[in-house]
Amino acid sequence: MTLELSRLTRAVREMGQALAGRERAFSQLVQQARAWLAEFADRGAELARAAKEAGAAVPTGEPLNLVGALPDVPERFTVIGTDGSQVEPDRHGIALYYLLNVGSLVYRHGSGQTPEACSVPRLYHRDADLYDGGLQVAGNLLDVRRTQAEVQHLADLVEAEPAGPTLALLDGSLLLWILENLPSEIRREKVQAYLGQFGRIHEKGDVALAGFVSRPRADEVGRLLHLARLGGDVQAARTEPNPLGHLPDRAVFSFLPPGARSALFASTCGADRELYESGGNGVCFFYVNVAAEGEDVVIGRVEVPAWVAERPELLALVHGGVVAQCRIAGGFPYVLARADELAYISGPEREQLNEMVAAALLAEGLRPALSSKAQYKRMTRRGRAW
Amino acid sequence: MSNVEIPVGRVLRASTRGFTVGCRVMQPDIPAFGSFVRAEARTPECSIFGLITDVTVEDDLFVRRFIIADPPEEVVRDQRENRQVPIEVSVLAVGYGQGDDVLQRIPPQPPVTMDYLHPCTAEQVVGFTRCFDYFRLVLDAPGIAADELLAASLQIAARARPPEEREAFLVDAGRELARLLSADLLRLDRLLQQIRPQGEGR
Repeated sequence: MTLELSRLTRAVREMGQALAGRERAFSQLVQQARAWLAEFADRGAELARAAKEAGAAVPTGEPLNLVGALPDVPERFTVIGTDGSQVEPDRHGIALYYLLNVGSLVYRHGSGQTPEACSVPRLYHRDADLYDGGLQVAGNLLDVRRTQAEVQHLADLVEAEPAGPTLALLDGSLLLWILENLPSEIRREKVQAYLGQFGRIHEKGDVALAGFVSRPRADEVGRLLHLARLGGDVQAARTEPNPLGHLPDRAVFSFLPPGARSALFASTCGADRELYESGGNGVCFFYVNVAAEGEDVVIGRVEVPAWVAERPELLALVHGGVVAQCRIAGGFPYVLARADELAYISGPEREQLNEMVAAALLAEGLRPALSSKAQYKRMTRRGRAW
Repeated sequence: MSNVEIPVGRVLRASTRGFTVGCRVMQPDIPAFGSFVRAEARTPECSIFGLITDVTVEDDLFVRRFIIADPPEEVVRDQRENRQVPIEVSVLAVGYGQGDDVLQRIPPQPPVTMDYLHPCTAEQVVGFTRCFDYFRLVLDAPGIAADELLAASLQIAARARPPEEREAFLVDAGRELARLLSADLLRLDRLLQQIRPQGEGR
């Protein structure tokens, strides 16, 4: 064993103590935040402009401390979820390639039918796949391609679905996460392609699109409350330390009863916000307690594009549909749990894929070989189960 | 029995008498009791042949969440028809070798852990069951349903043959059992009942 755990004993104990102390401090902050939420509940309209400028959650007209009751959902409705995973390109491997695997589940509530499960793997090995604007596709660029594949598959499934109330769900934020140091033209191109898939879903009509964020860390509402207590003074909000800093919004909203949602807010996150907003895809969000009666509170963040937020029946479908899904699997939408399972690539599967690639290379008269570094790692790590 | 060599899993634990394999499969693909399988032996290009003695569906934490919650019909159907289930397959080793050169004895070494277990093809089953030396290994194996295992394997081996050869094969197997179990007529009778060709009356 090379990780000397005995040398970490003190550090781990100190970490436990520090976390316990932070938890106690957070509970006081939570009380303060809730008091401000009530105090400024009806000041949303006057705070909206400053909130946008200050990078805080933007109120949308609902009281800030709204407790939105769980709405009724249609007797029959469909929820479609997609998720993806990848095999990263390995420059020390036998060949330079990567793989994206997208899993999906189409679940028809109230039908009694078997959900449609699907897994779509795609192998990428051509120069056009491996390089993007002179950069090797790996890390964040590969994440972007995977997210694009997930939303494209979601749009394909939505288009194939018969008419009727449908909720299309993605795992995580609706904002495409792209490193800000990428050239702006590459960023814009990626975001536009991504939003093009939103457009396909929007055109379907009765379909709501949402992203579900489990255990969210966002603190946009905390920033709004900081701004509110400073009378909407953006400059002061920027210079004065936020007493709610690092307090996740989910802690503030843990008072929500089972099934209830918070007020709806517009998000100001993301460097390419204007691209989202100009197409009606500006991201709005609410928090929701997805736990059932008698269970511990589980707060999730649900993001929707503006075209969903503006239609009460679609927003109600998102709210009711997400809670219905989370109550099947316990705290997380069933379709996303299954889509993740269908997309997951296990260690043995990665090995098998590599063996298939090696066999294909040998069949073409090539002699696949690992780099010296990879060979060395293989030798030292093989069989190290403990 | 499959004519396509699809691995059914990887060896988790192994001894010379048998081994256990873990894998995830769709419910309809769960391998059958008494099936012939083979794993790679430590000697290059040599296989260890075995019979599946037990199949256990492992505890699945995801399913466990639904057990007490009375899940909707859609979830039950998804779990039953779409999801792979984790299983453990126990195998009794009954021979080793390569091609026609197969010895029906306990292999000198167990298979290597993490190696794949493959279902035997019809040709491999027919080839292996040309000889009945493995009967003794099964009948003497402790802690398993030996008689039921042998009967199941013989029915599978009969089905791997052309229809016109099946009855003769089972009659030959019955004769060998009569020789081995001549001192235990009750046991012999129970076994012969189990391998009686289908459609034949008592």
